[in-house]
Amino acid sequence: MNNPGDTLIDLRGVGRVFGEAAAQVTALRDVSLTIRRGEFVAVMGPSGCGKSTLLHIIGGLDSPTSGTVAFESRELAGMSDDDLTLLRRQKVGFVFQAFNLIGVLSTLENVGIPLILDGVSHGDATRRASDALARVGLSERREHMPAELSGGEQQRVALARALVNDPIVLLADEPTGNLDSTSGDAVLALMRRLVDDGKQTIVMVTHSARHAAMADRVVTMRDGAIHGDNAIAGGRTPRQVLAELESLT
Amino acid sequence: MPFRHAILGLLADGPLHGYDLKTTFDRQLSPTEPLNFGQVYTALDRLHREGCVLQSEVAQSERPDKKVYALTDTGQDELRRWLTTPSTVDLDLRNDTYLKLMIARRRSDISPAQIIAIERQACMTRLHELNRAHVAAQGDGATVAVRLLLDLAILRLEAFAKWLDRCEIELQEPAS
Repeated sequence: MNNPGDTLIDLRGVGRVFGEAAAQVTALRDVSLTIRRGEFVAVMGPSGCGKSTLLHIIGGLDSPTSGTVAFESRELAGMSDDDLTLLRRQKVGFVFQAFNLIGVLSTLENVGIPLILDGVSHGDATRRASDALARVGLSERREHMPAELSGGEQQRVALARALVNDPIVLLADEPTGNLDSTSGDAVLALMRRLVDDGKQTIVMVTHSARHAAMADRVVTMRDGAIHGDNAIAGGRTPRQVLAELESLT
Repeated sequence: MPFRHAILGLLADGPLHGYDLKTTFDRQLSPTEPLNFGQVYTALDRLHREGCVLQSEVAQSERPDKKVYALTDTGQDELRRWLTTPSTVDLDLRNDTYLKLMIARRRSDISPAQIIAIERQACMTRLHELNRAHVAAQGDGATVAVRLLLDLAILRLEAFAKWLDRCEIELQEPAS
């Protein structure tokens, strides 16, 4: 069931239309896309091309007006509202451009929120939140308040909160949009490690070619449709690239 | 020969013979594009003619005497002038992809959009390699030289990717 490479999310002919009659806006048209377990996929395209709508539909935050979405072979259209809520809460982790941390709660408490909502005991929640903070390299900031952290650190806390439930897929909508390029690079390097070390599946929307290139596959969208879908992994390994440079002393 | 002044910079630490100069240059400054001996000696001859370096023979018992090069006062001044004069950044205005796009516009068998798709795929693949090397380099505690060269390469490819986006908008075929 958990073999890397098998189909995790499957979109078939997905369309999404907002509004009615003359005021209709088509956000997605006939999108078919398969996300496999362990993949790191970047979605790129100009503003308004439908990439955020696509991400919301993948995560069950929005429903298509046509076509089908299956999550681990289960069609979302057939699921009850309660099941959909559970899916969003337990199987999907979201990270947004805005960090959305709660200012009056400590770093550790922010990360533990999804567990408390799920009825996990306080002790277990604290332990698992600590583990998640360690995964993003922020153990020493557990008692800090969000205002005491840099933007890059706040986004890493948001990442820890998204990971605390061990989601099957991490969905990130412009995760570096509010960060300077160095902090953005650090967040992306962290996401890359989650894929390499933890086999985390990630779908990320971004405007940055540099950050998209951290993924293994880039989907480009134009006018609500898929325009390109290319694997970009499989070139020289980091070791080969560095070997060329490493004789520098 | 843009590396001529870097040779002066290496000689500023003390006299070296040609072979040591070459290996020091390759090891400390440019591992991906090592110099060949011809380039090194051509540069040293020119620097010698310009009075920037002094040549002296060092006797060797078993082999022919070897030439050792040292920086002169003129060389010091020239090195200083180079360091404080802004470099001409190569804007690459006869860029290969640009030429392909211009030729593709004149043809019916291939479109600029196809060229852009091919170039974008290649650019993103290289950017992916370099990004991952960048992450690995941080874990490894790579030298500052490695990190600077990776940054230069990554930022150049990022600029190229942005330029391809602009090309796509500029060369869009009118909707039929």
